[in-house]
Amino acid sequence: MSAVIKTATPFVIEEVLMEALTAVGAEPRRVSSSDVDLVQRNRLQIGDILTNRSDYNGRQLFRFELDRWVMMHDSDEYAGRTVDRFSEKGYIKVSRFLTDVSGAYESAYGMYLEKLAEQERIRLEEERKARVETTRQQAIAKAKAQGYSVKETTNSKGQIQLVLTRMV
Amino acid sequence: MPEQKITLTIDDDGAITATTSGFKGESCLEALDELLNLEGVVSCVKKTDEYHQQQTLQTARVQSLRGKS
Repeated sequence: MSAVIKTATPFVIEEVLMEALTAVGAEPRRVSSSDVDLVQRNRLQIGDILTNRSDYNGRQLFRFELDRWVMMHDSDEYAGRTVDRFSEKGYIKVSRFLTDVSGAYESAYGMYLEKLAEQERIRLEEERKARVETTRQQAIAKAKAQGYSVKETTNSKGQIQLVLTRMV
Repeated sequence: MPEQKITLTIDDDGAITATTSGFKGESCLEALDELLNLEGVVSCVKKTDEYHQQQTLQTARVQSLRGKS
């Protein structure tokens, strides 16, 4: 018997889920075209995320359905075991596993948001620098075209100062 | 030969503050307009004492010219 469990924390972002699964030691791996022929009751699809947990249906996995990742496994957890490289890590029940993954997902999501915020801050800073540089270049080019000599300095606030002079 | 001088300060957001010297009256604004295409993008113009002095000088000159004719 197979089952689909919906968790309180919706696993929406693949990158975050991968982080979370890694954090709980589930060794996530995306299913590629070379994996789809792998024989197991839970038929694999390209894009599924395999864990190192296994049961009667084969590897327990996450699949993107509608708008979120859902875990697919045998509801009885018959023959539940881990195929972890580190044998001391034992199999834990799916409900407990999902609780752990949810916690790890929350943490990873927080870091994900921080990363997005940092990327946005860097983008805005680069835009600002580009805007200042464009203004500077345009002002210098126009001034020279109109016969001004241009001297560039920076003021006490670190702002660019262009001193344009011409004789009339 | 008189010198015309414009000092442009580009702030951290790319906005420009300009001060001028050596221009007579409105010609400083005209020079800035030529240089920076000011139309519609000026947020503030502060006229300095020099601007008013030059304007007064010009007005006086116009009046004296009118007096002669």
